[in-house]
Amino acid sequence: SLHIIFINVQKIVCFDDYFTTSQHTGHVIVQELEILKPQKIELSCIISDIPNNPTHIIGYWKKNGNEIENSKQTVYKVDKQRFIFKRIFNIQVNDLGNYSCIFSYLDKQEQVTFLLKVPVMKDKRDKPIVSYVGDSVVLDCKIKRMPNTWQWYKSNGTEKVLINATADPMNYKILLEKNVTKLTVLNLTEEDAGKYICSAVFEIKSSESHVYLKVLSLIEPLKPFIGITIEVVILVTLILLYERYGRSRNDSSVDDSSGTDGRRTRQRNLVH
Amino acid sequence: MPSTTVTSLGYTPPDGGWGWAVVFGSFLSIGFSYAFPKSLTIYFKEVQEYFSVSYSEIAWVSSIMLATMYAGGPVSSILVNRYGSRPVVMVGGLMVGVAMVAASFGTTIMHLYICVGVIGGLGLAFNLQPALTIIGKYFLVKRPMANGLAMAGSPVLLFTLAPLNQFLLDNFGWRGSFFILGAIVLNCCVAGALMRPITITAKPPANQSGGDDDGAVGKTDPQARAGCLARVNKLIDLSLFKHRGYLIYLVGNVVMFFGFFAPVVFLAPYAKHQGTDEYSAACLLSIFALVDMVARPGTGLVSNTRWIRPRIQYFFSFSVAYNGACHLVCPLLPGYTGLVVYAVFFGLAFGMVCALLFEVLMDLVGAQRFSSAVGLATIIECGPVLLGPPISGALVDIFMDYKYMYFACGVMMLVPGLFLFIMNFFNYRWLKQEEHEKKREELPMGSARELATMEETKDSEQNIKLNQEKQLTDSDNKEP
Repeated sequence: SLHIIFINVQKIVCFDDYFTTSQHTGHVIVQELEILKPQKIELSCIISDIPNNPTHIIGYWKKNGNEIENSKQTVYKVDKQRFIFKRIFNIQVNDLGNYSCIFSYLDKQEQVTFLLKVPVMKDKRDKPIVSYVGDSVVLDCKIKRMPNTWQWYKSNGTEKVLINATADPMNYKILLEKNVTKLTVLNLTEEDAGKYICSAVFEIKSSESHVYLKVLSLIEPLKPFIGITIEVVILVTLILLYERYGRSRNDSSVDDSSGTDGRRTRQRNLVH
Repeated sequence: MPSTTVTSLGYTPPDGGWGWAVVFGSFLSIGFSYAFPKSLTIYFKEVQEYFSVSYSEIAWVSSIMLATMYAGGPVSSILVNRYGSRPVVMVGGLMVGVAMVAASFGTTIMHLYICVGVIGGLGLAFNLQPALTIIGKYFLVKRPMANGLAMAGSPVLLFTLAPLNQFLLDNFGWRGSFFILGAIVLNCCVAGALMRPITITAKPPANQSGGDDDGAVGKTDPQARAGCLARVNKLIDLSLFKHRGYLIYLVGNVVMFFGFFAPVVFLAPYAKHQGTDEYSAACLLSIFALVDMVARPGTGLVSNTRWIRPRIQYFFSFSVAYNGACHLVCPLLPGYTGLVVYAVFFGLAFGMVCALLFEVLMDLVGAQRFSSAVGLATIIECGPVLLGPPISGALVDIFMDYKYMYFACGVMMLVPGLFLFIMNFFNYRWLKQEEHEKKREELPMGSARELATMEETKDSEQNIKLNQEKQLTDSDNKEP
């Protein structure tokens, strides 16, 4: 539970199948609940330590920013310090969203928001996975909570096409392993490129994530390869030619320094 | 002043001119040798998923590459002794290039072990040893500076290869990246082309006036030993194992390498363990690399001065001990600022040791035997270099705390540092004594020598006489 100035937020739940995280920025408190199954949830806001200690406060609920009808109530003190403001919600597929308890005292208003949603796959997938024609590639998805099952789709523009690995085992293999799924695409062609969507199916709703696949032809890496190889050959040739040119110039002039070298070496030895 | 081992080169190294181009070539070769295996780790995750193997199986690729690079030292030395640096480096560059291209078509992880690990590692070995050897052939007076500059290739290339590899991975996947890296690594051939063999114009001093010590080029053991040992000795100088300074260097280094690389490997994980985010942990490594980059030529410059150069062995043992001190202090430093301070000091220490590592070896055995010396040294150091990080990792796993690993590494560097310091103190003394004796022996045979010995015996006789007189007078005085 958290204590921020004078708001203490808790939830009392009738059934399990949810997980929460909370964050607060300044006076706005947000609590995230990951809902896996349709269920009834009681959201409660416990408020304490209001200045001037009023006898009662007025509160109401909002769903997705809109005030819920007939949710306004007067809340009386439970004991000397606290007000408890709660409501039971029946959460089905369409009921996922933001729920807020808002209460006012004197001329101030405070709000606590509960975010009810399916578990989300948060890792950023903006970089495409690169593979080559004729090769195979493994695309994977991970999620924190275990879904009922996983499904893979390929996106064709706006449409999603389900990938059926059993119907097409030459091209696809799907591995399902609790929190992780892996799609292996075999015998890649250029049409296999595009957006792939993995869907974690929970009882209440599915959670989706996507990954982009790029399929390159074998010529693509060949271009920088040839470029760099040519550069290396040119440099090596230049260096060796420069050396040969320098040597031919030196050979034409008299150059016999063996005597002086020996003497210099001896002198150096003595100095050391 | 304690004398350094005589060069026994038989000629005066140019100490400049084309030598600086050679330094640049060595810079590239050394850079690729050390940085290439480390930078390949960027591809590990994708290759691991492609072949469906565990992380430790993929990490073997880098380990095999590093191990082969070190173990291939003697082979490289033999080839350099025979053919010179240039052909060996160029062949090495070609080998790594072909290895990477072959690896890009690999179908199993074993493919990668062999191509990248064995062939690639051998190619890098053919780059490292010759690059170090040729510096000794081109430089004498400015050699520490040249060594420092050339060794700076490692951090500079790591700094460049790491983001380049990431860029290649993002655009070409791991196969295309290996293919293109095969071409990039061919630049080692350019480095090899720069390593012009030095033209030795001086002749061995057989007919010149006596007084030259063993300055003959390519002199081998005069004892005629038959059999394969003699043949091996022709390829690679095994008499080095009788060289006192070399043995001291080996013992010190073998222990030191156990604790040398592990702190680098664990810097980022330790930071993350302390709670810093990934980006700040990566920044630590960048700080470390930048300080390292500057420290290496800086150390070269400092060790070239006339105060340090004669005592360069002490400087090396100081830098090893300083490393140890850094690691011992590290767990005591609080927070991210402490880690940054540690990264700076450790970067400096690491750079110092790396810059001096081969310079002190050249100083000990001389440039002529350096090629064999470094080959034998790397194959012996192979063990601790490879075992160091896994052992440290095991320490971390057992104690679930990084500080014991840092203490262990600190001790493993402090003790060799002190050992090297003390042993080199004695070694300098013994060398001085040996030089005195040699100088006496070198006096031309005949009158002068006999005169010298006669004088000595006269002196000692006089001393005995004086003592006897003294005793007599003493006893006289003692009598009441």
